[in-house]
Amino acid sequence: MVTRSVSSMSDSTNDPAAAPPDAEIARLTRRLKRETAARKEAEAIAERGLRDLFRRQQEIVLLESIAVAANEAAEVEAAMHHALGAVCRYAHWPLGHLLLAGETPGEALVSTQVWHDDSDGNYTVLRELTESIQFGAEIGLPGRVLSSCAPAWANVGAHDEAHYPRFPEAQRAGLCSLFAFPVMIGSEVVGVLEFFSPELQSPDEALLRLMGQVGTHLGRVVERQRAKARLMHDALHDPLTQLGNRKLFLNRLQHFMQRAQRVSNYQFAVLFVDLDRFKAVNDGLGHQAGDELIVSTAQRLTNCLRGTDLISRGRTESGDEDDVVARLGGDEFTILIDNIHNPQVPIRVAERLLAVLAEPFELEHQQVFITASIGIALSSSGYEDVQDILRDADIAMYHAKQHGRARWMMFDQDMQEKALRRLQLEAALRVALDANDLTVSYQPIVTPDDGQIRGFEALVRWHHPEHGQISPAEFIPVAEEIGLISEIGLRVLRQACACLCRWQHEFGCTDLTMSVNVSAVQLSEGDLVEQVERVLQESGIAHGTLKLELTESSVMADPDHSLKVFHQLKALGVQLSLDDFGTGYSSLSHLRRLPIDTLKIDRSFVSKMDHQEDKRQIAEVVVMLARTLGLDVVAEGAETAAEVSALQEMGSDFVQGYYYYKPLSEEAACKALKAQSGC
Amino acid sequence: MKGIVFNLLQEVVCKEYGEDTWDQLLDDAGLDGAYTSLGSYADAEVVALVNAASAALNLPAQDILRWFGRRAMPLLAERYPGFFQRHQDARSFILTLNSIIHPEVEKLYPGAATPVFDFSNDEQDRLVVGYKSARKMCALAEGFMTGAADHYHEQTEIDHPVCMHHGDEKCVFHVRFHK
Repeated sequence: MVTRSVSSMSDSTNDPAAAPPDAEIARLTRRLKRETAARKEAEAIAERGLRDLFRRQQEIVLLESIAVAANEAAEVEAAMHHALGAVCRYAHWPLGHLLLAGETPGEALVSTQVWHDDSDGNYTVLRELTESIQFGAEIGLPGRVLSSCAPAWANVGAHDEAHYPRFPEAQRAGLCSLFAFPVMIGSEVVGVLEFFSPELQSPDEALLRLMGQVGTHLGRVVERQRAKARLMHDALHDPLTQLGNRKLFLNRLQHFMQRAQRVSNYQFAVLFVDLDRFKAVNDGLGHQAGDELIVSTAQRLTNCLRGTDLISRGRTESGDEDDVVARLGGDEFTILIDNIHNPQVPIRVAERLLAVLAEPFELEHQQVFITASIGIALSSSGYEDVQDILRDADIAMYHAKQHGRARWMMFDQDMQEKALRRLQLEAALRVALDANDLTVSYQPIVTPDDGQIRGFEALVRWHHPEHGQISPAEFIPVAEEIGLISEIGLRVLRQACACLCRWQHEFGCTDLTMSVNVSAVQLSEGDLVEQVERVLQESGIAHGTLKLELTESSVMADPDHSLKVFHQLKALGVQLSLDDFGTGYSSLSHLRRLPIDTLKIDRSFVSKMDHQEDKRQIAEVVVMLARTLGLDVVAEGAETAAEVSALQEMGSDFVQGYYYYKPLSEEAACKALKAQSGC
Repeated sequence: MKGIVFNLLQEVVCKEYGEDTWDQLLDDAGLDGAYTSLGSYADAEVVALVNAASAALNLPAQDILRWFGRRAMPLLAERYPGFFQRHQDARSFILTLNSIIHPEVEKLYPGAATPVFDFSNDEQDRLVVGYKSARKMCALAEGFMTGAADHYHEQTEIDHPVCMHHGDEKCVFHVRFHK
């Protein structure tokens, strides 16, 4: 049709070449041609300039849009998705795709489902194919970018077409070119953006540079997100062990608690784990070793839980394992056990944990044996506040410690009441000490043959302004724990020795003795000997009239240390008495080595010994043992004439008890001494 | 209308019929004929030129436009080789007409009203091309498509069943390519 129209046009016009130009026309024609050429060149220059300008503007628009998205995007994927769209619009590419680097270097790229797709589904097959491919190094165009860390492109029909598994499908979809560039942080490829084009591509320097800039912008997004993730991680994790910290633990706990309130029959447990004698490791082997112990403990706890199918089963979150075990600080760890069906589950876990911690630790080239105490609280108690369940697990842990450590205890309400009372006691005790509410009573120790007072046992008494008398059995352990025992012990010692000195002078009995109790904590702390030495000098009592009473269990806690202290005390002329004898598990060989002077028969054997033959026999054995070892015997808690006569019969040197005297005030004791007119 | 279109028309006419013919067409249309590729000129001027040619040749204006479009293609390929090198065949080239025309025109003449092409496949090997433009120069578009086929050494069969000149909202071409 077109050919026909041209030929008809040709018929109707004159041929200009037919007219022979004269010289003037020829010159004008040349001039015209020059002008036309100059115009075309000028136009070409202007067009190039305009085109460059336009391109620059487009580049700026692209980079701006990517920079804005990069700054505003909350997630890496959102920024990447925006970039895919912006680059597609800029370069008129209909399809763009994001691939992300794997977790570890050298791993294949993750072919994400993040696409920019301008088609109405024309590329579905290509997309599915792409998402199914693992782009390792040198596989497909993304693999090439991963290896080279540089932009790359490939066209259908290229000589190395075989390297591009997606070309056949791309071609079917009307695409014939691939372009890809890396998203880099430093020299690390963290992602690859790839684009598909229906046109053959041979990107120029300007495009490569531009895509390089896009890659840099996006790299910053990844970098920023990593920094954010690191900050988030640091805010919620303990730097030493990498376990969750208190904040993370409470978050998780809150989450569990809400679920427990929402879902019936859903239960969880909190385990509070505290190492026994951690301070000893820290003090003895140094902080470095203490830190190592904490790290090893964290690993053992984590491994133990990870190996526990009870933990993982039924968990709905796919969070890290470390959200189960947390370190609250110091040597305190907490463990959250999800979805338990009965209380046996946390108990079994606790037992397993105790077992793995009982294995020796290798610290500073030596084996260290550590135990732990574990408190357990169950969500079934209907908690509403995370702090409450944590507190109760803590209280149960405390009870585990009180009951001899290296064990677990399940929280019960009784513990809560005790814990509350203990807290009140603690506060009151500090007040009492400041207000001098603690007093000393003196219970006479007599020889049963003549009923004469030979000495006294100084007993600390606390009269609380509201609660009345509080038993030493209750407040002494509290004082020990909160570090007041040393001060209380010193006060009692000082007061008792001052009294004894006055009585020795007043009544002329220089062999009158004073027994003062020493707690396990005082024995293990360093300044007992110095304190005693100082008090002996201050008081001026007769040599050899101060007796220190120690319980069997406190002596046996660290026999070597006790022995050392005993020798030092003996050198000061102090007599030593083993209290509550028979109630612990003393080794007789140790007993033989200890430089003690007196055995005290515990009141539990004395009480009703005239009725209960077994008690009597034990008491007899103690007396015989004392004889063999050359020790004196004091029987305490004698309340009846029958008991006293039994003790007398078996040869107990001294007797102490209500039968003779209750503990007396200083004045009453003085009167009693006066009444027997001399010693 | 863009100056480049007048330049191309001038070139095609001069090449085939000589410069006097072009002068004659300008005189017939009552135009001074100073066109630069950087400029933009009233649509009426191109219409007047096509009508002048139509009258001179006693041919429908549509035929003139088709002829012009086809003949202009080699000149475009000479001026802008990059657009053609990116494609292996006419179909692929035609599919990217929008992406060539729009930015290239807009970059030179911001605010230009450009034609819009749309594409679809209805049967195997048949490309359905939609054309929409206020100038209704569908014949020029058809000429361009034929010229593109020439460039890739292909033949085309073009049907034009729907046309704005017949009151339709847009033109539709059915195009088949043969190697």
